[in-house]
Amino acid sequence: MKRKAALLLTLALSATSILTASASEGDQKTITMWTIATEGDANHEAFGKAIEEYEAEHPDIHIEMEAFENESYKTKIKASVAANELPDIYFTWGGGFSSAFVEAGKAMELDSYYETYKEELPESTLKYATYNDKLYGIPYVVSISGIFYNKAMFAEYNLEEPKTWDELIEVCQTFLDNGITPFGVSVKEAWVMAMFNDALTLKCVGDEKINAAFTRSGQSYLEDGFLDAAEKLEQLITMGAFSESAAGISNDEAVAAFTTGTVPMFVTGAWLEGSILSADNPDDFGFMPFPVCSENAQITDSMGGSADMLMVNPGTENPDEAATAAFEIAKLVSKYGYMSGAGIAAWKVDYEMENQSAISKTMSDCINESSSLTVWSGSLMEAEDYTEYQALLQQFFVGDLNAEDFVEAMDAQLNQ
Amino acid sequence: MNKVRKNKLAIFVFLLPAVLLFAGIIIIPIFCSGYYSLLDWDGITEGIFVGLENYKTLFTSKTSGFSKSVVHMLMLAVGAVFIQLPFALFLALGLAKGMKGERFFVTVFFIPVLLSTVVIGQLWIKIYNPDYGVVNSVLRMLGLDSWCHTWLGEKSTVMWAVFIPIIWQYVGYHMLLMYAGIKSINSELREAAYIDGATYVQTCFYILIPLLKPVLRVCLIFGVTGAFKSFDMIYVLTNGGPAHASEVPSTLMFTNIFMKNKYGAGSAIAIFIIVICFATAILIKKVFKVEGEEKTA
Repeated sequence: MKRKAALLLTLALSATSILTASASEGDQKTITMWTIATEGDANHEAFGKAIEEYEAEHPDIHIEMEAFENESYKTKIKASVAANELPDIYFTWGGGFSSAFVEAGKAMELDSYYETYKEELPESTLKYATYNDKLYGIPYVVSISGIFYNKAMFAEYNLEEPKTWDELIEVCQTFLDNGITPFGVSVKEAWVMAMFNDALTLKCVGDEKINAAFTRSGQSYLEDGFLDAAEKLEQLITMGAFSESAAGISNDEAVAAFTTGTVPMFVTGAWLEGSILSADNPDDFGFMPFPVCSENAQITDSMGGSADMLMVNPGTENPDEAATAAFEIAKLVSKYGYMSGAGIAAWKVDYEMENQSAISKTMSDCINESSSLTVWSGSLMEAEDYTEYQALLQQFFVGDLNAEDFVEAMDAQLNQ
Repeated sequence: MNKVRKNKLAIFVFLLPAVLLFAGIIIIPIFCSGYYSLLDWDGITEGIFVGLENYKTLFTSKTSGFSKSVVHMLMLAVGAVFIQLPFALFLALGLAKGMKGERFFVTVFFIPVLLSTVVIGQLWIKIYNPDYGVVNSVLRMLGLDSWCHTWLGEKSTVMWAVFIPIIWQYVGYHMLLMYAGIKSINSELREAAYIDGATYVQTCFYILIPLLKPVLRVCLIFGVTGAFKSFDMIYVLTNGGPAHASEVPSTLMFTNIFMKNKYGAGSAIAIFIIVICFATAILIKKVFKVEGEEKTA
């Protein structure tokens, strides 16, 4: 009896294995995808879950994902576009970064597929995925930048969240009087300084002008607003609002100084939440929008938006499958990423959120209440302009340039 | 043997793989770079032929930082010749004299060469850290707070801060070459000098160093061209910053190609580096050869 049972079991097992094998070898199509969701990336888990769920729902499609480290991916994706070696779906950054890809015809136009998802993916998130009024990218996360601050340190000196420039200066002065450097920043990795200056410039000139200037749309950088922004940055540098050693420390080192409570404020994007949540006392930290610095901007104008996105290779063998998979996966990553605190969902939230952190809630509210979202210079500017912008900020910080020199050099770069 | 040498086909067949590899990996890319350097090209779309425009902007533009980078490159080369090589020679002569634990020390000095530059770079970043780095901590302990600097973040100190790890890393490499050279010198010569009453210092200056000339020439070429090409350590430590204060041509080339998407301008810098390395290598060979011939004549 036992033997019979064993035999039956073996037969059954081999039958299932043959069946599954034939199913997977039959019509299954493989879609290749590149992302930056490496193990250290906040979205690693979300991508894993999304692919698992998608494959379960579509047994005829197998998604093969390869993940690369963020900085090296920038080089890799450019080289692969040039060499025509793109996978079916690839991660990229919208705005200026991918404009050359679209121009070179290395991104598929997605308007017809978008029809299906119109209800779930709001048009407001597609600003940087749209080139010449056509959709080329599928975003999954909305980000925002602002001031992350240490509530405990603010409370210690009876400080309120600054809403205007003068209040910000007052806050900085109070910290300085008590021997504390107000802002953490890295100038060695100049993109961190650029995040700060983006926010400051936005609040001095307003969203339309900063957009026009950074995208080379004929906006002069010599206008008063931009000079005002540069002078304000100069004021902060001169008063010692940034540590003198900022030119020599990396972003990680600067972030560590913030999360350990050495500096009270840090201007960067929503991704800082990850570092805060793994700090000893995550409840001590809060998020606020950058203060208003002139009448040209409102407190609800923010730097942020949806720059991270998936694009589809027009040379793919299975265009329909790849495009649909890209939309579906973006939707799932949006959900799982939001639930795990990796970022704010770009897609409509039609599910319950559990255990959302206070800081994520604040950022989410800021995005929903925002009157404008302008993505930061790293995505907005073309690569050459962005590199020069960072170099100029470094020179500004170490005192090689004053506010006027900086504005002139920026104008020369952006309006050559 | 002569038969084989006369067989042109055999020579051709046996050399072919090496020639193909060498041409494919080194020669052809150099010519490609030469061609790219004449283009205004973003690496993705079609390039536009602009002639020598890239070279012109390179040498005349004030904001590109190229002239600064060349000065830094020459400083590195001078440092390699006048600090690194003498120090390596000193160590090699000292070790070759025969001391306790000779092999141990040879290995110890060679370790930095074996380690990845990125690892060494991270190590030195920690050493230079303005808050908890060893350098500033020691200075503070000695009460020399005013001497503390953000070593990698100040224009006045960054070049020195970058110099030290680069020179330190490759001292062991040159030392090993020289040490091997000294060991291969016939020991009878040293013994004869010893019997004639020469001190070890005299032996070094009159016997070992002159006989070591071929090795020294190789070290000189490696040291100088290595300085001209240096990239990895600077990239890890400062990436040429702050504000071009530690920029060298190769970091500038990297920024141009991979950050600014300016393949043309980047290739022009690449060609500049290749030309200057070749020229120096040939020059050094020539200078040393002439002296050598005079001596033997």
